[in-house]
Amino acid sequence: MSVTLNSAELGGLLASTVRVASPLLFAGLGGVLCESAGTFAVCIEGMMLMGAFAGAVVAYLTGSVAFGLAAAALGGACVGLLVAVCTGRFRTDHMVTGLAINILVLGLTSFLLRGLFGGRAPNIQMQTLAPWTVPLLSRIPVIGPALFQQPLLTYAAFLAVPPLQLLLKRTQLGLMLRSAGENPAAVFATGANPAAIRAWAVIAGGVFAGLGGAVLSLQELGTFTDGMTNGRGFIALAAVLIGRWLPVRTMLACLLFGATNAIGLNMQGWNLPVSSYVIQMMPYLIALGVLCCFGRSTRMPAALGAPVSTH
Amino acid sequence: MTGLEKPMQAHDTLPWADRWVRAAGAGRRLQYSVLAVLLAFGVAAFFIMLSGKNPILAYRVMARGAFGSVDAISFALNKSAPYILAGVGVALCFRARIINIGGEGQIAIGGICATWAALHCGAAPGPLPIVMSLAAGALGGALWSGIAALLRIWRGVNEVIATLMLNFVGLLMVGAVLNGPMGEVGAGFPQSPVVPDSAFLPIIWPGSDMHMGILLALFLCAVCAVLLWRTPFGFGLRLIGASQPAARYAGVSFARSMLLVMLLAGALAGSAGGVEVLGVQYRLIDGFSVGFGFKAVAVALLGRLDPLAVVPAGLFFGFVEAGALAMQREIGVPSSLVDVIQGLAMVFVLCSIGLDKRRKRV
Repeated sequence: MSVTLNSAELGGLLASTVRVASPLLFAGLGGVLCESAGTFAVCIEGMMLMGAFAGAVVAYLTGSVAFGLAAAALGGACVGLLVAVCTGRFRTDHMVTGLAINILVLGLTSFLLRGLFGGRAPNIQMQTLAPWTVPLLSRIPVIGPALFQQPLLTYAAFLAVPPLQLLLKRTQLGLMLRSAGENPAAVFATGANPAAIRAWAVIAGGVFAGLGGAVLSLQELGTFTDGMTNGRGFIALAAVLIGRWLPVRTMLACLLFGATNAIGLNMQGWNLPVSSYVIQMMPYLIALGVLCCFGRSTRMPAALGAPVSTH
Repeated sequence: MTGLEKPMQAHDTLPWADRWVRAAGAGRRLQYSVLAVLLAFGVAAFFIMLSGKNPILAYRVMARGAFGSVDAISFALNKSAPYILAGVGVALCFRARIINIGGEGQIAIGGICATWAALHCGAAPGPLPIVMSLAAGALGGALWSGIAALLRIWRGVNEVIATLMLNFVGLLMVGAVLNGPMGEVGAGFPQSPVVPDSAFLPIIWPGSDMHMGILLALFLCAVCAVLLWRTPFGFGLRLIGASQPAARYAGVSFARSMLLVMLLAGALAGSAGGVEVLGVQYRLIDGFSVGFGFKAVAVALLGRLDPLAVVPAGLFFGFVEAGALAMQREIGVPSSLVDVIQGLAMVFVLCSIGLDKRRKRV
């Protein structure tokens, strides 16, 4: 029962790792933005689902992927705005608001899909985004075909990581954003408005998570089905926790989850004595394990989930 | 000084006055919930119009579908029972500002344990199979919430994140046991064998499916109300919720209260899973409880964290779901409108709580 891999299988594993990781990565980056600025991102699931829905519907109606992507970003941003209004203006509990918004979006997308296209289970089927081969790089053996023959959004997700990392760690704007999550009163003292920073961070997070949803609907499946994100928003949340609120580490966590998923998909072939359900549990168990180990020293943004107070 | 004396005097001389004041306060809070529900229906009407249907007609069909027949009522009550059971546990936790959103996982594990017990002790005499299965469900749920509580107490892991993550582990656990030790051989679908009928929950309305889950839920809500308002444990919970430093100063142990209330909430959620298995499905089915735990949070909030008010909130959810099915069947308004109404109601209640707090501060 030894597991041996030839280079083709290894390449396949790598490719599916990256593919599975890309929607998670978009959503995870959105989560990093939300949470660095102090808003708990349970709502990522809803943002993703809205993005998947808006992207699929608009791309289907207009026949243009670009419009679809714009709609996905806008859809996620709208959910972000709703979350920002509730948690900012009305000072609601972030976690519970996130749950409420998730239920709302689940119902709304399913309802609107039937309202728009009629019937019990409307089917809007489209072409999925075709892979784009990077010249030269794709000719590297094993890694090349695996990593550089991916659809466009996958590249976009990974290319977004370095600028975001720099933004958060090396710019004034990033410092302000993180301060709104660590100590809103200090931000207020500098003359800036921490509540507004938080709101914009959640909306920007919504854009990213919405694009993550679009990866699922436009790139992976080419359609929208009810509740198609299926908990991926929560996996992204786990990735943010493990990545401890920084884009690069979040990316690594997403890749780890992508790898566990890819291995899970391939397990039937290998006859391993582990249930595929156990593999699916891994992201959550790893997140819990990491939190357990670091415990109180997780360096969570200090004011994460707390309402903005200016004194 | 006068501020301290006045309410005490009122309580000494006029105990009924104190009770009235408290009841009026509860009424005022609940009126926000009613308002939130009405608002949710209003916004949902807009979406019905958007899909080209008449909202007034839709709501009339919905009302008839929810209350029109014994079958509809028993469907709604059977739906409500797990929501109320899990919701009252959530309410107790939230009272102490312990944000336990692990209902999903606790219900799932409760369902697994209850099914396992029912499959193994169906031959026991009298009502023992039912009692033992429900107890096993409660134990399973308590175990699941206990993990989160201990992680918080020992390792300082935020209980919100722990309960959230354990939800998905619990839900996947159902699939794992059904594809492993508890699955029915040759069923082709992840489900357990039917439990022996000695473990079926008794029917309380002859000729319908209405099972005793709702009575159990009512009884346990009353118990929780007494626990919250009339015992030192409940007082401790409320004190922790109001101010942790004050609670510590008064000698209330946060760790002890947290562990106890989490175990209690887990047991309630676990029994909700057991009730769903033994009263409705009669077997464990993959995904049997998806969404229940999150709806329990909604129910707790709609009931403004009052164990007794959780009952109408849970009934509301059950009846809306029964009505929505009729609405879909008869005039083709998709039943996913339920989630829209429930989500909106939850958002509005949350916002009203926020407004309430802000007004108090001013």
